[in-house]
Amino acid sequence: MTQTEHPLQGAATALKYLILVGGAFVMVFPFVWMMIASLMTAGEIQLRPPVWLPAAPQFNNYTELVDSIPIARLYFNSLFTSGIIVFGVLLSSSLAGFAFAKYRFPGRELLFYLILATMMIPFFVTLIPVFFIVRQLGWIDTYQGLVIPGLTSAYGIFLMRQFMITVPDEIIDAARIDGASELSIYWRIVLPLIKPALATLGTFVFIGSWNNFLWPLLVLNSRELMTLPLGINSLRSLYADNTNLLMAGTAVSVLPMLFLFIYLQRYFIQGIALTGLKG
Amino acid sequence: MKLNLSAKSAWWTPDIPKSPLMRRRMLWAYAFISLPILALLVFLLGPILFSGWVSLHRWDMLSPVGEMPWRGLSNYVFLLTKDSVFGKALGNTFLFAIGGVGANTILGLGFALLLNSPIRGRRVWRVLYFMPVITAPLALAVMFSFIFDRNFGVVNSVITSLGLPRQPFLSAPSQSLLTLIFIAVYQYIGYYIVIFLAGLQGIPQDYYDAAQVDGAGRRQEFRFITLPLLKPVMLFVVVTNTIGALQVFDLVFATTGGAPANSSMTVVLHMYNTAFKFSRMGRASAMAFILFGIILLITVIQVRLLRDRAYQD
Repeated sequence: MTQTEHPLQGAATALKYLILVGGAFVMVFPFVWMMIASLMTAGEIQLRPPVWLPAAPQFNNYTELVDSIPIARLYFNSLFTSGIIVFGVLLSSSLAGFAFAKYRFPGRELLFYLILATMMIPFFVTLIPVFFIVRQLGWIDTYQGLVIPGLTSAYGIFLMRQFMITVPDEIIDAARIDGASELSIYWRIVLPLIKPALATLGTFVFIGSWNNFLWPLLVLNSRELMTLPLGINSLRSLYADNTNLLMAGTAVSVLPMLFLFIYLQRYFIQGIALTGLKG
Repeated sequence: MKLNLSAKSAWWTPDIPKSPLMRRRMLWAYAFISLPILALLVFLLGPILFSGWVSLHRWDMLSPVGEMPWRGLSNYVFLLTKDSVFGKALGNTFLFAIGGVGANTILGLGFALLLNSPIRGRRVWRVLYFMPVITAPLALAVMFSFIFDRNFGVVNSVITSLGLPRQPFLSAPSQSLLTLIFIAVYQYIGYYIVIFLAGLQGIPQDYYDAAQVDGAGRRQEFRFITLPLLKPVMLFVVVTNTIGALQVFDLVFATTGGAPANSSMTVVLHMYNTAFKFSRMGRASAMAFILFGIILLITVIQVRLLRDRAYQD
């Protein structure tokens, strides 16, 4: 491209940055305002005319928060249940995907079409029956009730199959000639080759499960088992008149995940672009 | 989507391998798929059939499954002719989806084009725009309930300090849905920017070089190269965004709860209330099936429309 110094071009560039800065301001402001408000007193939030900063940052809002809800417990529950779901989905999807991609067996096509069809089923259609099943099993208000319905994913199986089909058959045949068992072919050869796909699927499943609200809302009752979104939800009524504390609670639940994202953003965004284009 | 289904063995041919070695491999394959398939049967396929069955009955989930009174299609008839809240919810959900998908597609593509042009700090911009995507919808709902609060919200602080009248936002029927659309676009715009950006970067530079040799202007490049080649990405964005928007729940639940006067009631929230507040499982299941049917129909139409246009160009 030839860079001719045209005055209009300078104006266009300035406009470009202006739009980007404006957009970024809108995106970041809610988070910043949440943090500022979380350091105000309950009175400062309701002042008219409004104040933009607290006279003195009220860090004790956070200690008060920790005293009234078991934040560490919420984190543990979210991490524990999301971790198990990610592990389960990765294992089940990669095993089934492996079979569909690299084995011949009667019924393969039928079963695979079945999986494609179930991929289209939205969660709300199965919500009532799955809730009923979980209740019949006596799993209401348990970790297994929260976790077990989420351990398999039709989309995950589909995605894994699409990636595993690109693994050359020659590698697998060579391993067989060397006497490798089917399990060790899966574990030692195929899995390492599709690591990027595993990471992407794992990220998707983790975010989905970490932020999931409706299912935990239905299944869990007791405070000891609550995940973070349920915690925020309970704060809504607890702190209906203390928005500063409500914001402190939201900040505590949101910020660590944001920092983790900013730290890992490269892998994150690459993976998301990848699956978007595969779809 | 490439399926690569082998043409040789149709699903009805019992293609059982002859050699014992092949047969052992076949058993391994069955072992690999057995648990995942079982789980899909129990938690997806079985439930959808059961849900369809329930939608033809009256059921409170407490009485035994075998004794549900048969209602035929009366749940569907009731919803489509008598349940004014359902009609309202359906209309709101459509508006929510149309507004959100329109804004996300136009703004997403616009910002992606900006970020794809020679610009400093592309990665930083991308991260900033992406932050809400990974944040729990529930947390965003709480943040924005405060930001748009009629009395103490920061947006009203700015508006009134400019001498303009205070706006009700989430607390008035005239503005609640629009405010929710804004929050939803805020949440997902970063995702669509990343998708569009990846699509733009997949267009070979040669095409633009050739167009410049032929004397094409910026506008012509966009119309005759960028847009046609971006069709598959556009299809993905419009379809996934529509499917997602039609199922909105968390955001509405934690901001307005469908209020005021059902002005922001959506189908899944109404379904949730019908099932888990009022224990009308039959009616709620019928609702789910109507929405599911609508989603399938819209998806098919969108795929057709966007594909046909791609072929015309």
